[in-house]
Amino acid sequence: MFKEIFLFEIRYRLKRPATWSYFGILMLFGLIVSIGGNGPASEKVFVNSPIAIATMLSTISIFGIMLASAIMGVPVYRDIEHKTENYFFSYPITEKGYLLGRFFGSMSVLFMVSLGLHLGLIIGFMIGPYAGYEEPERFTGLNLWHYIQPTLMLYWTNFFFAGCIFFALVSLTKRVMLAYAGGAILFITYLITLTLTQDIENKDLVSLLDPFGLGTYENVIRYWTPEEQNTMTVPFQGMIIWNRLIWVGLGVSALLFTLFRFDFLKFLNKNYTSKKKNDNIDESNAAAAYTKIPTVSKVFSKSLNVRLLFDLAFMEFKNIVRDNFFIAILIAAVLFLFFDAWFGAPIYGTPSLPMTYYMLEMKNNTYIILIFILIVFMTGEVLHRERNVNYDQIFGALPLPNRLVYGSKFLALAMISFVLVNMIMVSGVINQVIKGYFNFEFDKYFTDLYLIEFPKYIIFVLLAFFVHSLVTKKFMGHVIAIAIWVFLFGLNQLANIDNNLYLYSYAPNYTVSDMNRFGHFAEAQFWFRTYWLACGGVLLVIGYLFWKRGTDSGRKARWQIAKERLNVRTISTFFILLGIFIGSGGFIYYNTKILNNYKTEKEGIIATAEYEKQLGKYDKIAQPKVIDVKVNADLFPENRSAKIKVTYKMVNKSNEIIPSLHLNWGSEGLLKKEVNTFTIEGKKPKLSKRYKDFGYEIYAFEKPLQPKDTITMVLEVTGFYKGFPNEGSGSDIVYNGTFLNNNFLPSFGYDANGELTSDQDRKKYKLPIKDYSLPSQTDAWGLSNLLFNDDADYITFEGTVSTAPDQIAIMPGYLQKEWKANGRKYYSYKMNDELDFFYNISSAAYAVHREVWKGKAGEKVNIEIYHHPTHTYNIDRFVKGVKHSMDYYAENYGPYQYTQMRILEFPRYASFAQSFPNTVPFAESFGWVGDFSDPNDLDYVYTVTAHEVAHQWWGHQITPSATRGANQISESMAEYSSLMVMKKEYGVDAMQKFLKEELDTYLNRRANESKFEKTLMDNDNQQYVWYQKGGLVLYALQDLIGEKNLNNAFKAYMEAARFRQKAPFTTTLEWYDFMKAATPANLHYYLEDSFKKIALYSNKVNKASYKKMGNGNYQVTMEVESSKSYFNGNGKLLSKGTKPNLLEIAVFDNDTKNKQGMTIKAPLVIKKVWVKPGKSTFTYITKKLPVKVGIDPYNKMIDRIPDDNMKTLEENAE
Amino acid sequence: MELKIKNLSKTYSNGVQALKDITLDIPQGMFGLLGPNGAGKSSLMRTLATLQQADSGSAMLGDLDILKDKAEVRKILGYLPQEFGVYPKVSSYNMLDHIASLKGIANKGERKELVESLLNKTNLWDVRNKSLGTYSGGMKQRFGIAQALIGDPKLIIVDEPTAGLDPAERNRFHNLLCEIGENTIVILSTHIVDDISNLCNNMAIICLGEVVAKGNPNELTEGVKGRIWTKAIEKNELVNYKTDLQVISTHLKAGKTVIHVLSDNKPDASFEAFAANLEDVYFAEITSRMDSTLV
Repeated sequence: MFKEIFLFEIRYRLKRPATWSYFGILMLFGLIVSIGGNGPASEKVFVNSPIAIATMLSTISIFGIMLASAIMGVPVYRDIEHKTENYFFSYPITEKGYLLGRFFGSMSVLFMVSLGLHLGLIIGFMIGPYAGYEEPERFTGLNLWHYIQPTLMLYWTNFFFAGCIFFALVSLTKRVMLAYAGGAILFITYLITLTLTQDIENKDLVSLLDPFGLGTYENVIRYWTPEEQNTMTVPFQGMIIWNRLIWVGLGVSALLFTLFRFDFLKFLNKNYTSKKKNDNIDESNAAAAYTKIPTVSKVFSKSLNVRLLFDLAFMEFKNIVRDNFFIAILIAAVLFLFFDAWFGAPIYGTPSLPMTYYMLEMKNNTYIILIFILIVFMTGEVLHRERNVNYDQIFGALPLPNRLVYGSKFLALAMISFVLVNMIMVSGVINQVIKGYFNFEFDKYFTDLYLIEFPKYIIFVLLAFFVHSLVTKKFMGHVIAIAIWVFLFGLNQLANIDNNLYLYSYAPNYTVSDMNRFGHFAEAQFWFRTYWLACGGVLLVIGYLFWKRGTDSGRKARWQIAKERLNVRTISTFFILLGIFIGSGGFIYYNTKILNNYKTEKEGIIATAEYEKQLGKYDKIAQPKVIDVKVNADLFPENRSAKIKVTYKMVNKSNEIIPSLHLNWGSEGLLKKEVNTFTIEGKKPKLSKRYKDFGYEIYAFEKPLQPKDTITMVLEVTGFYKGFPNEGSGSDIVYNGTFLNNNFLPSFGYDANGELTSDQDRKKYKLPIKDYSLPSQTDAWGLSNLLFNDDADYITFEGTVSTAPDQIAIMPGYLQKEWKANGRKYYSYKMNDELDFFYNISSAAYAVHREVWKGKAGEKVNIEIYHHPTHTYNIDRFVKGVKHSMDYYAENYGPYQYTQMRILEFPRYASFAQSFPNTVPFAESFGWVGDFSDPNDLDYVYTVTAHEVAHQWWGHQITPSATRGANQISESMAEYSSLMVMKKEYGVDAMQKFLKEELDTYLNRRANESKFEKTLMDNDNQQYVWYQKGGLVLYALQDLIGEKNLNNAFKAYMEAARFRQKAPFTTTLEWYDFMKAATPANLHYYLEDSFKKIALYSNKVNKASYKKMGNGNYQVTMEVESSKSYFNGNGKLLSKGTKPNLLEIAVFDNDTKNKQGMTIKAPLVIKKVWVKPGKSTFTYITKKLPVKVGIDPYNKMIDRIPDDNMKTLEENAE
Repeated sequence: MELKIKNLSKTYSNGVQALKDITLDIPQGMFGLLGPNGAGKSSLMRTLATLQQADSGSAMLGDLDILKDKAEVRKILGYLPQEFGVYPKVSSYNMLDHIASLKGIANKGERKELVESLLNKTNLWDVRNKSLGTYSGGMKQRFGIAQALIGDPKLIIVDEPTAGLDPAERNRFHNLLCEIGENTIVILSTHIVDDISNLCNNMAIICLGEVVAKGNPNELTEGVKGRIWTKAIEKNELVNYKTDLQVISTHLKAGKTVIHVLSDNKPDASFEAFAANLEDVYFAEITSRMDSTLV
């Protein structure tokens, strides 16, 4: 009997077009992804590497839950839907046979359908190398196991357990909607785990909870290098087994439960229990027949229609808000909104204060996804409302104009959208109240939600409305509507099509800032919203023409109806909307393309390649160097423009004769520039060549510049903006919070930083692969230039800057004078000492906080904090950061070169801090509004301030040469300095958390390296190497050879290299020599490993136990395992270390707290021990009860698996 | 006012020709539409109820073109579909009130009066506040007729309204229809011959999308008067009779098969004359057609 039902199910399904269309969609998707090479593989990983295939399969399986609910929700429901249950169950079949037959039949079909993806991928990867979208060498051969393994482990398992749950839900409740709701819940669970992944401490929890195992699997491959990703499949072990057991277990138990609970009788009973049957009323009411039906007056007027429109809309609105599915998803969505906001916008895991703009931005996280699903589903419900309850025939024959019915449905959804945007405000305000933040700024809420977000939801509704009007099958409508969005998303994310003009509902991003509020974004938002609303309106009218009223869904009939509805009113509406659509589209095109020169990503790459091909010949040509700068800047924030005049004194420091000056303006960006004055030695120079596309101009000197010749150049430039761009903010000059740097003015000669770096792109455009962007440490050109700017060595500086009367303008140097004239404010600055040629000009309505740092030698430094008036929250942390840094650096590296240290706030269009000589700008979102109330959260204001202040020494005193590795001298040293300031403040036992964070970032980034990983000695552009690896390695070095010892070496280096006036400037070789001199010979291996090689440890504790001894002491025994492996830059194993290494071994008590309240480690024994590779056993005696042991427990070494370095002790009871 | 249907044809997109060149004049009063399942009754009625397009032909209600001026037709239309649903969680009172407002009865007082009288009329008064989802089949059907009567319709279309009603309810329903049918056009479709003979002055028989007979039931019955013969036979003899004679219907009576035969003369002595009724007309018209297509 099982067999018959099973086979019937399969045969039935195979005849359904839906089955094949699902199969087809998956296959198509597979083909697109594989041919286009759009999979999840980084540049050095094959697009069809085992990891890429597994990631694709498991990602698709998340969207596949929709498929699973469609296929597994219906097999039992079908009997209700087609009313066959009444006789079907009267056949001699058993419940179990029936259920299992249907279940396994449908499951087989689901599995079969799911293979569409594999087919698409396999075929696609065969075509891929010839299709030309992706380089042929990025494809590797077909290996079926790479498909089978993840299919069994992840893909089918997901379908299986989800299918079990959906099947159970529908069989037990008879409501097919619950299958969709179940799908939604699973998806939400997945999203929750995604939120949790933000904190690496939750790794195990995520691994267990992620219903689709994607997070679990990503945790396993987190640190896999390209080499490993290309050759290995994810082993079925550890957390993956547990995760699969949990979820498959859940599915199987749901199925078993159903199997035992399912009962034909109950299934047949139409909820008799829940329904009250009407009592038999007296049927022979004689009076009934004689009741006269009164005559009534009927009105069909415009005003009544308007009233009915609202009545119907309101009724529909009530229908929606009463829908359980709607309520459930909305609650989930609002919870997400709430918790996203609750956890804030963390930076380095530290939350931010509940600023109104954060509350608003939370709408773009999970909320928008759920709202979007809600809108699609609710639009379907609304448009199928009458048909669903079979009331469509009565309703269709009512004397209601089509546009009224159609309009009321749209209006109801508009009302729903309005409710949805208000939820964002409700959640935001509640969050703020609970957190004790009462600066609600309702004007920001209203502007953002009602004027920007609400129209966006309407635009969503319009498309969904259009689809559901055209497609008369509800489920099909959902699938098509969602497919359209997935398609758009795919175009944008995978195919890199980013022109907002061509992606329905897309608009440029905008940022709300406290300093600059909605700033200059409003115009673009207005035009894009108008454009898409008009487009949606056009769709709405088309939908109206084909919208089904009545019973006829034949194509012919619907064309007929469309023709009938095509009257003057619809035609004129259509053309008005189309006119607005085309008109606004044209205006947008004019702004983004013509005024602001929009380029597709590809065009951008081609232009970059051309830049190198045409101008590369000017690379490293000799140019005069600036030695003195005078600036006269007039900023006009109110109309976003600036007029800047510079007078450069320049010298030919080379040994060559320089015939001409090369001005490199860069290709035209958002900030347009006009040259007002340009003279050399008081004369207008003659243009000899111009490369217009690249903004590159060559002016011949009247007299070629001899070595040591000095000239004066005057250049006055006006910068301003025009219209609005497709993307990007153009935030150099804004209404409040201007942040300009010397890039405003042209640089001299070719700039190699503007070249393509990706190997793949370079190959594609026939440029030689460039392994390094900087020359070697012995290169003459490299040694004679400074890293940050080759247009000058050190300079002297003075200038005047003017700005709007309510703003303060800042430039390098000490304030000489400030005055008011012409209704504007003027400031004049002068720098007494030298600085590298790297300065900023800022202006905003600042409040200023001042303090003074006093050094041991009695020197004084003025600390000035320029901040947005309301952002007073963390000023003391900035001050503390500066003071502690000054303390540590002045003592350990040498004196500070200036007498002031300024910290500036600038709007949150970027999120970083940067160190200019004596000035450190911090973005609005970076520290000023951080919430540091929990001492266990990283106080990044403090640590980043320490890092940036360290650059005053490492970067601005020692400015390294433009050679390979030089960035380490600036960045690794600043990172090390910051770690040392932290160590001094928090104590050595608090450092593990910070070190592990550095380690995690390093391991993670190197796994995604698109070229090859470089060493600390010659790394030129890999941030994870210079920050994370560099910081860690130097921290461990001071730990091994002594803090004072190492700092003395750095002090000596500082004295040798600070403000070096002449080439050769310093390189990593010099830096290394100072460290090497301070390191004893038996530890030279560590320097070699760390700076010249890529060496990774794998240290772990295998077993550990303790025994109580007679004298009350404890004997701890542990078995550790250690190994050290050497890799090449691609992550390929070269060899294994064979010699012992000096590592830390420790026994710990329970964690404790330091004076700041931070959780720290409490070592009972901590020793540095020479540990040989392989297993070793150690025994220690402690006085207190030991809790944990560890090898390299503070994660000072680069360790591939940092999690297994510690182990909790077990008592050895013998 | 009279409803004139001319050459109305409709083919569905799956190729089924539902209406073939239908021409009918429907005067005021009750008009019965008789036909077997799938004859095209519902298609015709849905077309008249503005819910469906026609491929060709016309349907004029007085000066009103039903196929074009749908909006106008809907203002004077009362329609009870063969199968319909309701919002399960709304009470009949509220639902009728809602529909009344949608049918243009803007005056609240009038609406209240109307809804109450309709509830009384259809014997739903006592359950007016119960949600529609709890109604039995008969109650739901009465609700259906109540909503069709709202707004003084000039054209009432009821599609198999008595299917599923018990005899008493069916009776009451007929009375109700009769009462209304005096001043309006009421089109009633059914496959129960008695309904028509009891209620209608005019009728048409539709089979396979075509009008095969139309007129007054009595006159139609006249047409077969004296041509219907009956005989009780053994079941296994039926085949023989079917080949020799035009057997229009068979039914069982006390275990024997009784056949009706259409013939100008008495087929043989064993047959008895039968007083023809509308049922015989119906079977006479459809049997030959159905057999030729179905066999």
